[in-house]
Amino acid sequence: MMKVLDHLEEWIITFLMGGATVIIFFAVVHRYFAGVSIPVVQDWLLGINMGWAQELCIIMFVWMAKFGAAYGVRTGIHVGVDVLINRMVDSTRAKFVVFGLLAGAVFTGIVGTLGARFVWENGMHYAVFNALGMDTGALPEGPTTPDLEWPTWIVYSAVPLGSYLMCFRFLQVAWRFVRTGELPHHDHAKVKGIDEGEQSPDVNWFALDNDLHPHDTKHHRIVELRDQDRPKNNDQEGKP
Amino acid sequence: MSTLIIFGLLIALMLTGMPISISLGLTVLTFLFTMTQVPLESVALKLFTGIEKFEIMAIPFFILAGNFLTHGGVARRMIAFATSMIGHWYGGLGLAGVLACALFAAVSGSSPATVVAIGSILMPAMVKAGFPKRFGAGVITTSGALGILIPPSIVMVMYAVATNASVGALFMAGVLPGIALASMLGMTTFYRAWKNNYPRQPKASWAQRIKAFRDSMWGLFLIVVVMGGIYSGMFTPTEAAAMSAVYAFIVAVFVYKDLTLAEVPRVLLASANMSAMLLYIITNAVLFSFLLTHENIPQEMAAWMLDKGLGVIGFLAMVNVLLLLAGNVMEPSSIVLIMAPILFPVAVKLGIDPIHFGIMIVVNMEVGMCHPPVGLNLYVSSGITKMGITELTIAVWPWLLTMLVFLVIVTYWPPLSLWLPRALGMIP
Repeated sequence: MMKVLDHLEEWIITFLMGGATVIIFFAVVHRYFAGVSIPVVQDWLLGINMGWAQELCIIMFVWMAKFGAAYGVRTGIHVGVDVLINRMVDSTRAKFVVFGLLAGAVFTGIVGTLGARFVWENGMHYAVFNALGMDTGALPEGPTTPDLEWPTWIVYSAVPLGSYLMCFRFLQVAWRFVRTGELPHHDHAKVKGIDEGEQSPDVNWFALDNDLHPHDTKHHRIVELRDQDRPKNNDQEGKP
Repeated sequence: MSTLIIFGLLIALMLTGMPISISLGLTVLTFLFTMTQVPLESVALKLFTGIEKFEIMAIPFFILAGNFLTHGGVARRMIAFATSMIGHWYGGLGLAGVLACALFAAVSGSSPATVVAIGSILMPAMVKAGFPKRFGAGVITTSGALGILIPPSIVMVMYAVATNASVGALFMAGVLPGIALASMLGMTTFYRAWKNNYPRQPKASWAQRIKAFRDSMWGLFLIVVVMGGIYSGMFTPTEAAAMSAVYAFIVAVFVYKDLTLAEVPRVLLASANMSAMLLYIITNAVLFSFLLTHENIPQEMAAWMLDKGLGVIGFLAMVNVLLLLAGNVMEPSSIVLIMAPILFPVAVKLGIDPIHFGIMIVVNMEVGMCHPPVGLNLYVSSGITKMGITELTIAVWPWLLTMLVFLVIVTYWPPLSLWLPRALGMIP
């Protein structure tokens, strides 16, 4: 069940990222080729209206941002100011870490609820009642987007959906931290085998073990490890 | 009073180590809920409409393009080209590293990406060629910072978002300072290499140079796509970003074939992850600046500072110190998004050009990326070289000092940033 949710989340944001890129690319290509006078082709191109591309791209990226932010909690990518708490002893830091994660859950929970109310009152209420064949009375049908003419409540439902998912992720990470003392970071795998070699181009510099993230209580800082392990006189400057 | 409460709350929340985006959002919610009558529903709407701007969408596109380029063998060919051109001078590979970083910066919008792309290939090569590890690490860590000064630049887009400045004009304004900083870093490299008599590469023949140029041409052409496209008005900056993402994908997968199609979803996911984090900070920063405007804080602060008789010179000095301090605890995007809306109105009142102000902030951010405790470039370099942060800090200081000197030049000599966009008629 959890795996399905994880994969769905990854799949959605991957698709939105790629999709938006392709759409803007074709909109631009279309704009230029419609200006070139090739018989038949030009008429055909002029017949296609790509005016909605920009709007769709924005919608896709907003959705990507909301779900990606939830995914980011799971990958530990959200940056913070952790200079202070990372210099505290483990037990004190652990309290701050839990506080931070719960604060995240509270904030996203509130925002999700506000968003859900907003979406409900701006068209979802009408749409649901209408679909169920109930009396919609004086309920507003809600506005639509300018180019695509989609109901805005569907578009805006990214806020409650994404925020609730993010809230869930914060709680999940907090629960795991309380139980195991681990926080999601990309770096930990490398703590074991510090061998010479290149950093993979996949490195996610916003998720490195620096002071933009709290250090967990299970692992030691990779940086300190290196400083201690290193012999003092290794490759001094001036002696090539 | 409300200024003190808002900033006190924000700083207190940030120091607990929670994500910056969350502390921004919680500050806004707490303040609105306890001190004002603003309906909280409008907050929910702002969360969606806050990033509903097409300019902002340049950020995910540039990140995607950058990630394709990092994987795509573009960096390796740029290094080969740079080495064939200037590798035979003192500092050989080091100088080539500065040039390669500058070239890669012209196709990528991020500093750590530049360090990864150039550093992971060049740093091991430099050690093999007989350079001390510290020298290579110092050169690449700092030259990689050019990534956000030489256009395209994600931090410039952030500044444009926060202040409504023109992205195109900012990009053009970054060109000359970028070249100037690259030259200064190159001179430092040259001087240190000459003093310590570091190895030089054999001089390449013109045939080799032309071959290296032709190999790297696909990557270099991206500079034309982005800068030429924006300047000629063919693309908006966001469209240029999308085009460069598609172009980088084609070059990486079909031309250089350094990336297989099966790896593409992973690159997309990684880019989406990074972009979403930045967009989430933007969303909450938009909320925060909505709160500031609502409470009239930027205007009050501007009036207060002008009241104190702060001149242009004093103000710019203060801004630099403030940003350098912030660079000790935050990464560039957050700093720009939080600080720019506050400092910008004062700058405008003092008659400082918004574009010049932006370039100065970007250079300032570059410095912050190269020193501990949070410098992103340092940590990326540390991953490549397996050097500790303390050792790296010592390694970068000659170049970091050069950057600080350059920061003073950029701050107090506006024509350096303003001449080109003015000559192109992009700003009055």
